[in-house]
Amino acid sequence: MIFHGAEMKNKKRIPAYYWRRASQLVCLALFFFLFIRTDYSGRDEIAYAVNILFRIDPLLALSASVAAGFFIVLMLPALVTLLFTLLLGRFFCGWVCPMGTLLDGCHKIVPSKGQGRERRYRVLKFYLLGFLLVGAWLGLPLAGYVDPFSILVRSLALAVDPALNALSTTFFTYTYQQAPAWVNGLTEPLYTFLKATILPFNQKYYDLAVLSLVILLVVFLLERLERRFFCRNICPLGALFAVTARFALLRGRTGSKCGNCRNCRDVCRMGAIDEERNISQLDCNLSLDCIQHCPGNKISFQFSGLHQGRPAFALSRRSFVGSLALGAALPFLLKSRTLARQADPFLIRPPGALPEEEFIGRCVRCGECMKVCIGNGLQPAFLQGGLEGMFSPILKARTGYCEYNCTLCGQVCPSGAIRKLAPVEKKKVKIGNACFDRNRCLPYAKGIPCMVCEEHCPTPDKAIKFRDVVVENSHGEKVTVKQPYLVDELCVGCGICETKCPLPGRSAVTVTSAGESRNPAQALPDTGTTGYP
Amino acid sequence: MDRREFLRQVALWSAGISVSVPHFRIGAALAAESQPSLLARATGKDYQELVDRVLGPLGGMGKFVRNGDKVVVKPNIGWDRNPGQAANTHPQVVRALVERALDAGAGEILVFDRTCNEERRCYVNSGMEDTLAGIKDKRLKFFHPDERKYIPVDIERGKAVRRLSIYRDALEADSYINVPVAKHHGLSLLTLGLKNSMGVLGGNRGAMHHNLGQKLADLATVIQPKLTVIDATRILLHNGPQGGDLADVMVLDTLVASVDPVAADAYATTLFGLKPEEIESTVAAYRMGLGEMDLAKIRIIKA
Repeated sequence: MIFHGAEMKNKKRIPAYYWRRASQLVCLALFFFLFIRTDYSGRDEIAYAVNILFRIDPLLALSASVAAGFFIVLMLPALVTLLFTLLLGRFFCGWVCPMGTLLDGCHKIVPSKGQGRERRYRVLKFYLLGFLLVGAWLGLPLAGYVDPFSILVRSLALAVDPALNALSTTFFTYTYQQAPAWVNGLTEPLYTFLKATILPFNQKYYDLAVLSLVILLVVFLLERLERRFFCRNICPLGALFAVTARFALLRGRTGSKCGNCRNCRDVCRMGAIDEERNISQLDCNLSLDCIQHCPGNKISFQFSGLHQGRPAFALSRRSFVGSLALGAALPFLLKSRTLARQADPFLIRPPGALPEEEFIGRCVRCGECMKVCIGNGLQPAFLQGGLEGMFSPILKARTGYCEYNCTLCGQVCPSGAIRKLAPVEKKKVKIGNACFDRNRCLPYAKGIPCMVCEEHCPTPDKAIKFRDVVVENSHGEKVTVKQPYLVDELCVGCGICETKCPLPGRSAVTVTSAGESRNPAQALPDTGTTGYP
Repeated sequence: MDRREFLRQVALWSAGISVSVPHFRIGAALAAESQPSLLARATGKDYQELVDRVLGPLGGMGKFVRNGDKVVVKPNIGWDRNPGQAANTHPQVVRALVERALDAGAGEILVFDRTCNEERRCYVNSGMEDTLAGIKDKRLKFFHPDERKYIPVDIERGKAVRRLSIYRDALEADSYINVPVAKHHGLSLLTLGLKNSMGVLGGNRGAMHHNLGQKLADLATVIQPKLTVIDATRILLHNGPQGGDLADVMVLDTLVASVDPVAADAYATTLFGLKPEEIESTVAAYRMGLGEMDLAKIRIIKA
């Protein structure tokens, strides 16, 4: 026996659910700590396993492994989570999951209307799980769209964190410029403190920031229908835990003759207790609220043998098979798009990204690489990579670039979709190729000297070089200008030229995925040069 | 407008009280330099000692920093490159200058640069962060520029640029010490002292590059270092201003120092086997009367 109502009588004992709450808070604090640490720290290597949350996630591990065709060793910690689930049931949902904790935390802000005894939607998550896994296997990897951690971290990284920074910058700029000195005596140290602790180092900008946030908000607004609506009905990770928890050894038991109070049913945030007060293994997340609220102290959680009755999934066979069939059919529909024939040239993947099909299969859309990208170059894709590629990272070189000496994205990727590269190795990876627009580039179009792209080009032997050319400028004068040109063999596609191009609007130099080293089919024509003109 | 009035304007503007942009007008003092410009050059392996030696003929740090002064030491930390690659000012040179300024009684010393690569990587990889961490004195402030502190300034005498956004501390400093690294540059041939002043600019600096030479001279009418120390301990000969290939680096173990920013640039040009008149910014600044570029008219002392 682990937790028992009788403990409540003894005043010296801490109520069981306090432990659960403490665990939730510790895990949440750890989660935020690691989130903030997902950043450059003054060293080339990130000291913490900031991506651990995604590596203990068995849904993502399974989905990525099924897509890869082998078990991804990086995600081995997920097996540990599953083993604990076999022992304890869906403890993860109640004790660890930061999304669950936040949902519990906002319960008072978004109160639920009903008691939450609706069982009709419980099966959705199993259909979703089936669909996702079959899809991942056959080439439509969508687990990251609905995985709770992906939803959470993505939205924090792409929307909440930058917005928080914008808010504080605006506020402290106002106080700095408008407020009297004594106010600044308070606000400036506070700003310094916040910058040193929770605020990001600088302002970042992301595509799909609003969409990412809306998805998270929907999860929170579903609380209106019933508590933990997402966890009960949608969460495919929860579904995987439920499937495993069906065999769990730790089980909640209610007394046989306990009157009619139904307190346990009313307080259960997962709606796990039925009319006969059976606690369903599939739903119970061990919040232990029922122990606390049972007036007769009839409820206990005990380890029991293997040969116990197991709750039914109550799936409709037809619907389940239907969801599997959908997962099996859709990947082939994708093959009929133009994208299947010709990839979007602006689908520039981070250095170390696997070949596209493997990459997209493994990418869990967690947003970690975009959060950690110190050049603010990595952005979530919208439809550049097709429907299945949303929220996967692409380099958008006009907003930011890939820092030449930086290898952080490969370090934080939890599934190895972006390989971890040694600095030397990274500098040899070509993610794209720059190309000049001579109608816009000043030395070509206007006869005006400019060299910002060449100045910033980071390869030791510069990929952007100059030719001295005599041209006629807009005053009709003959002038000698240095016109930039690109040496394909030297360009790594980092995009700093496009980011820094001083022209307003569209850059005069653009990076595309042409020549990316992960895809031999994209090889550039051999110019026969070794990099020297 | 004199300096005092200018500082008052800067303070008012950044406090949001005044909407008119501060503007600088250079008095006659600088234009009518009668004595020949003095320039010191020293060579040696020990960069700490080298700094002392090169400042000697100029009168030592005490000549430039007085008790309680707000001092800005402005190195080049623009690139994510290590000291050996010669893209940034050598951290030991910066450290020695900071220590001398502290000894001279500086009230506070500010060291910063607006970088081209990611800020933190530049500060770390340049060796600046580690080296300056060795100075345990609270008067030293080594920090990343704060976006809020760029102030638009009218460049009264500007020929190519009329207004620039400039870092407040650079404007307010009692003593501004410019510590560029001498290196190759694709457009301006070399980047020296005048180019290094771009590190105090906010906004889109890329726009500076059209007519760069004149714009640097215009900037030099506002950012006037009391002392320029050009770091030529190792110089980058090709693929500047970033470099990255040690084959492009030549070790000279040399420092050049002068009160005259134009003279310092002019002389440093010769280290590359070039003539001062080949550098547009030197010529433009000379023409504006900001300093001497004729090597024959500069008193060069080998210290």
